[in-house]
This record gives sequence, C-alpha cells and structure tokens, in this order.
Amino acid sequence: MLKAYLPDRRRIQRQVLDWIEERTGLVELLYKGLYEAVPKRGAWAYALGSATLVLILNQLITGIVLTTIYVPSTTEAWASLEYIKKHDEFAQIVRGMHLYGAYVLLFVIGMHMFRTFISGSYKRPRELNWVTGVLLLLLVLGMAITGAFLPWDTAAYWTAVVTTNIPSYTPVIGHAIRAIWRGGNFVGPMTLVRTYGLHIWVIPSMLFALIGAHLYLLRRHGEFGSHVNYRGSYRNPPDVVEDVAERPQRVEPPAVHRELEPPYPALPTDDLWAAPLEVEDFYPSQTFKDGLVSLVLMAVVFGLAISYGAPLEQLATPGTVTYTPVPEWFYLPLDQLLVLTPSYLISMVLWVPLAGVLLLLGLPFFDRDAERNPLERPAIVVPAMLILVFLLALTALGSGRLFNL
Amino acid sequence: MHLFLDVPLPAHSPDMGGLMGYRIAIGTIFTFHILLAGAVSGASQLGPFLEWLGWMRRRQSYERVARGLGRFLVYYFAFGSAAAILAISALLVGLWGHAWAEINRILWWPFYIEAWSFVMMVIGVYVWHYTWDALRRWKVLHMCIGGLLVIFSIVQVAMIDIVASYMLTPTPPKQPIGVWLNPTWYPLQIHTIIANLAYIAYLIGAFSAIRFLRAKTDEERSLYDWAGSLGIIWGTALTLLQPVVGYSYAKEIQLQAYGAWYKMMEGNLSLEFLAQITLLGLMLFAAALYFWMRLRRARARGRSLLGMLSVLLLLTTIFAALPYQFAFTLDQVQAAGLNRPFWEGGLINPFAAMIPYKILALTAYTVFGIAIIYIYLRGFRDVRWGQAGRGEQRALIFLGVAVMAMISLMGFIRENARFPDVIAGHVQEFHQKDVNQPNVQPAGSAGDSTRSATPAISIDPVRPSPSPGQETRPSRSP
Repeated sequence: MLKAYLPDRRRIQRQVLDWIEERTGLVELLYKGLYEAVPKRGAWAYALGSATLVLILNQLITGIVLTTIYVPSTTEAWASLEYIKKHDEFAQIVRGMHLYGAYVLLFVIGMHMFRTFISGSYKRPRELNWVTGVLLLLLVLGMAITGAFLPWDTAAYWTAVVTTNIPSYTPVIGHAIRAIWRGGNFVGPMTLVRTYGLHIWVIPSMLFALIGAHLYLLRRHGEFGSHVNYRGSYRNPPDVVEDVAERPQRVEPPAVHRELEPPYPALPTDDLWAAPLEVEDFYPSQTFKDGLVSLVLMAVVFGLAISYGAPLEQLATPGTVTYTPVPEWFYLPLDQLLVLTPSYLISMVLWVPLAGVLLLLGLPFFDRDAERNPLERPAIVVPAMLILVFLLALTALGSGRLFNL
Repeated sequence: MHLFLDVPLPAHSPDMGGLMGYRIAIGTIFTFHILLAGAVSGASQLGPFLEWLGWMRRRQSYERVARGLGRFLVYYFAFGSAAAILAISALLVGLWGHAWAEINRILWWPFYIEAWSFVMMVIGVYVWHYTWDALRRWKVLHMCIGGLLVIFSIVQVAMIDIVASYMLTPTPPKQPIGVWLNPTWYPLQIHTIIANLAYIAYLIGAFSAIRFLRAKTDEERSLYDWAGSLGIIWGTALTLLQPVVGYSYAKEIQLQAYGAWYKMMEGNLSLEFLAQITLLGLMLFAAALYFWMRLRRARARGRSLLGMLSVLLLLTTIFAALPYQFAFTLDQVQAAGLNRPFWEGGLINPFAAMIPYKILALTAYTVFGIAIIYIYLRGFRDVRWGQAGRGEQRALIFLGVAVMAMISLMGFIRENARFPDVIAGHVQEFHQKDVNQPNVQPAGSAGDSTRSATPAISIDPVRPSPSPGQETRPSRSP
C-alpha cells in the first residue's frame, strides 16, 4: 500500500541520468564506447593495447604513491628508498610493482607493436595511429631510463653517467645538451633533480596527451584486427605452384562494406576501408578479454613485486673503479653494439637507434601496399624479421653480463 | 658429473710420430664432418619450418622443398653418422687419445646429452619423413613431429658447442655450470645455429640451380627456379646476421683467450681472416647479382637500384679485402720484412690493425645486404618462375660452393687458433702432453684457466708475443 506513494527508484535513476546526460553527454559517450563494433576473429591479440593502458595506469598510481616517500636529492634519495626497503613493506611492494610494471609494460608494448606490424594495421587510414604509438614507445623508454637514475645507488649513478653522455655525441649541440641535462660538467645533484622533473612531469604530460590522441584515432578508424577478418588476400599469390590439395579451400566471400556501421565508415568502392566480415560489440565480449589479459599481467607484476622486490644497490660511489655498469635488459642491444664497437666509432653506433626510430616512424609511409597478410608481403616482413632477430641476437649476446657470466 | 675426474691418466699418449699427418687426417675428416653435420642440422631445423610455412601459405612448393630436405636427411644421416663415428673411434681415440679422454671426463654430461639428442634426432628424422603420407590428414600432428625434430637438433648443436667452446675457453672443470656456460659458448651457439640455417639455404639454392639446368618440363623449371630464389633469400638474410654475431664471438675470445684472438687477428691466421671477410663480400655480391639478373629479366621494379648496389657491394668487397701492407717492389718487400715464405709469416696481414676499416666494411655489407633483399622482395612479384637464365644458376652454384668454403675456413681458423693446444692451456697437440704437470687439476682456477695458455702459444715469428699489458678491455661507455 505504502509502496505506491514512495518514489520509483528507477524513475529517479533515469531522471538523474537524464540530468547528467543533458549537461555532459557522458551517457551517450559511454554507450558509444561500450557498444562499438570490433572485429571478431583474433580478438585476444587486440587485448594487448588495453593491457598497455592498464599497465601505464599502474605506473601512474604506484608512481604517485612513491612520490609521497621518495626525496629527490643526492643525499636523501637513496636513504628514502633504503627506508622503504627495511621498514615499509607496503611501499616496497609498490616500488616493486612500479619497477616490474615498467618491465612488463615495455614487453607488452613490444608485443603490441609486433602484432600491429604483422597484421599490417598501420596502413591507410591508420598511419597516425602507428606514428603516435611509436612516439609513445619512445616516451615510455624515456620514462624507463630517467626512472633508472632515481634510486641514486651505484647502478643509478653509472646509468646517469653513461646516459647523459650519449647526447654529447650529437654534432654541434651535443655538449650543450649534456651540460644542460647534467646541470654542469659532471653528474651531480642538479642531474638528479632535472631527471626527476623529466620523469614525473615533462614526459608524463606528453605521454598522456599522446595516449589521448592514440585512443581518439583508434576510435575514429576502428580496430583493424588482422587480414583474417576481411575478404581473403588482396592479391593473387605470386607463386605458380598449386595449392596444397589436402587442405580444404576457403571460400572467399565478397567484400562487405558497412557504410553506416560505426566505426567503419566504409567508402563503398575501397577495400582499404571495408568493414570486417564478422564483428561483435566491444562490451561485453572484448572487454572481458581485455580485462582478463590485463588482470593476468597485473598478477604477474604483483607476483614479481612480492617475490623479488625492487633491488637497491649501495649508495652511489662516483670514485669506484671496480664497478661494471650493466644496462637494463631493454637497452642490451644498444649496449652490446657499444661493447663491440671500438671507441673511435662509437658515435657511429649512436646513429643506429636514430635510424631505427626514423624507420619505424616512416614505415606506414613507405609501405603503402594494400596487402595485409604477413605471408604475402615479404618485402617488408623479411627485412623486419631480420632486424628483429638481429636485436634479439644482440640481447642474447649481451645478456650474459646481466648474470655475470 | 665428476665421474671420471679423479681417474689417473698416463702422462701422454704413445708417441706415434707424424704430427703433420695427424693434423691432416683429423683436419680432413672433421672438415668433411662439419660440412655434413652443418647441413644435417640446418635441414632438420629449416625443413619443418618450411613445412609449416607451406601449410600456412597453402603452397605446395614449400611442402616439396621440405619433403626434399626430409629425404636428404634420411639419406645422409647414416652417411654422416658413419663419418662421425669413424672420426671419433679411429682418429680421436687412436691419435689424440689423451685429449679425447680428458675432454670426455670433463664434458661427460654434454656428450651424454648430445648422444641422446642425436638418437632422438635420428628417430625424429625417420618418423618425420616416413609418416608424411600417412599423416596427411593430421597435418598438425606431422608438423608437431617436425617441431620435436627442431628441438632435438638445437639441443644437439648446443651440446656440441659446449665442447667446442670449452676447448678454446676452458673454465674450472669442477664447476658444472661454468663448464657449460663457458664464456664463448653463448655467442658460438647463436653463430652456429644461424650458420647452419644459412648453409642449408644456400645448398638448397645450389641444388635447385643444378636441377633447374637439367629440368625437362616447365613445371620442374618453375619449381626449381622458385626454390633457388627461396634458398638465396634465406641464405643471404641469415648471413647478414653473422658479422655482428661473429664479431661478438671474436670479442669474447679477445676477452677470454687473448692468445687465440691475437693469433687470429694479428698472427699467422689473420690472412685466413682476410680471406673470410673477402669471401663474405663475394657471396653478398653474387647474391646481389642474382637478384639483379632476376629482376632485370622480369623487367621488374628496382632492377637499376639493384645493379647499383651490386657495384657498391663489389667496391665494398675490394675495400674489405685490402691487406695491411702493399709491397710492389723487392725493396718494399724487404723493408716490410716480408721476404719469407708465407708459412714463415711472409704474408702476415695484421687484421686487427685494420679493425675500424673492417667494421666499416661489415657495416656496409649489412646495410647493402638488407637493401638488396628489400628491393628484390619488393620487385619479385613480377618475376615469372621458370624463366631464369644460366647466369642466375651460376650465381646460385657459386654461393653453394662459397658457403662450403666459408664453413671450412671458419672451422680451420677456430681449430688452429689454440694450436699447439687441443684444450687451451691444458693439453697440447704435440705428443698429447699436458700443458701443466700431468693430472694436476686441469686448467686450475678461473684466473689461470684461459690466460695461462697464452705463453705456450707461438703466436707470430715476426711480432712479439702479447704481454699482459696489451690485454686491454674494450671501452664500455660512450
């Protein structure tokens, strides 16, 4: 009886939502975000992008927590981390999650880029997705290297010495860059403060701006997925040999153009803009996969943080002559090249990463072939695999130093 | 692990005389063995991969090449095994018994695992080859068998590389992990795996070229033309990795066995090193010529650029091949101290003195090499298989011969770098004597394990032996 006089909860909910929607448009945004079409096949591989975002958020949150304890000065930095290590178990786990989160993040970014490359997702009209992705990789690498300075233990000190020295090989302005970064001729308190500023303000601000751009572009063009979602191969195979008779031939359906289905605003006659053959909604199918992959990765990060914790060496001792600096694993290829190269040719080696970055940025602009199947575009895939194996071989060759072999 | 470490051994094996004869016999058989074993290892790794690629791409041509590799493995495995057993039983046990016993007791487990992985490889090869038709409907299962073959093959190569690397850079024999992960094992392992794959790829190219020239039908011509192209692409692409990996290997030798490095780079093996870098350049030049001819015949995009790169590669090869000194007149010969036969150091070519130029040459090889592969792959869609000419086939056959020469040369350099020791700093080749006192803890502590070999090695009649002061570590930081 009384119930009839009470306000309907759903009605109130709707009124509240309508009020918010009228003023912000958030509900529509959420709806568009959740019910967007994504390619159906190979969806687990597409979860790497969202996992990257989750791991970056992990870095943000754990980093903020660490700023409440860490003191960015050469006299206090190491002591504050030593305090964490000995007396603050929670902060030690957080620091471990920050460190191993960065490692896992770099690995996942690498996998994400590899997936994007193999699937040819960087091609028209998604060139700028790739470019922003490459810039994001550079920024994350920048975060990693600047973060390595901060503990101000022996490893951090020598990382600072070596890293700040690298720009000095740049013609004309090299020494000036080194002096500005170091705050003088030698690594010291100013170096730490400036690097701290780069690590927590400068690079993150650029990072989050680019993440926004990357996500915007992703939503604008939609997830490409891979060629298996589209109408067969774009070209006839070049070989004259016949197909394997035993394998049933796939019937190639005609191209499907869904002009009105966002986010695939297909131009009716252009294969490049064609929509996938099969799509599903981002929510709940893809969000489940994204969530699960992210959860597993975060569990790995947490497990590593609990099991190993973040290491801290002795306080920086600039005068030591016995210490052999060892780089982080993701810089091993470059380090191995430096080890192999005589000192008078080192400046030549330092152009290699620059050439690599230019090659990555330029990839969508010189590989404009419509073909997406990795097995049908050897001109790009074979040299790229060669470079990848080259990097892995350098990493393997240099990894002995990580374990003092 | 230490099963035989404390068994007393005779001071040295019986003096059978004729060191040169021993060396020639062992060198010849083992060169033959390396050439065969490298091809078998490469084929057992590349074959299953090509089968998978053919399945993925739905092209029977890959399947046919993979099956051909399977047939090659079946035919040559028995032959290669017989050569290996002959080499071990007749030559190593008979002529170098002391060294062989020492190696066995230190490296018992790697040998043991190697032997078992070899057995598993034999089983894998036969099952993989003979179930090809039977498992036609279960292709994935057949490819899994191929995958197991790849794993056994890699394990086998890894184990034998432990032995080979230990002989050059030994570590204290009572530390199992140190023995296994001795300083040069890691780079040697990577170097060997890539080399075996490149080697078999070039052999596929050369074999296809011969079959192409003998082909009677268009279908055969088409297949062998395509297979030759496949072989040269794989061979060249993988060879491009070798300068860096090989240089890493040499760097580790420099750090851990300076005497051997000095001998290779500045001593009487440096001429062979010069020959090696020249041969590498010639191989890349031949590959560029092949690519150029192939695209030119098809009037495909990029042929002019490939022609230009061929010339650049030839110029780079000439640059890489330049010796340290030129002596055009007798006076210059005498002034340079070269008026002696080459076996007395008359043609000494201090390779290490030219390292910056050689590195530049290797870098140019790599950059031009990647460029020729890219341009060829970009243009080869216009290539019609079966229309290649004799010139292309000659290039493929040259590459097949050159890669065999390269592998023999590399084996020669490595095995002679530690001369007169069989195990560096431990057992000498001549009369099978221990370098130190017999049955003293072999190779001693970590500190003397490798460097102790240096004084025993006669490095160079012209140049003085390297003093400890010359042993410089490379600069680590930029």
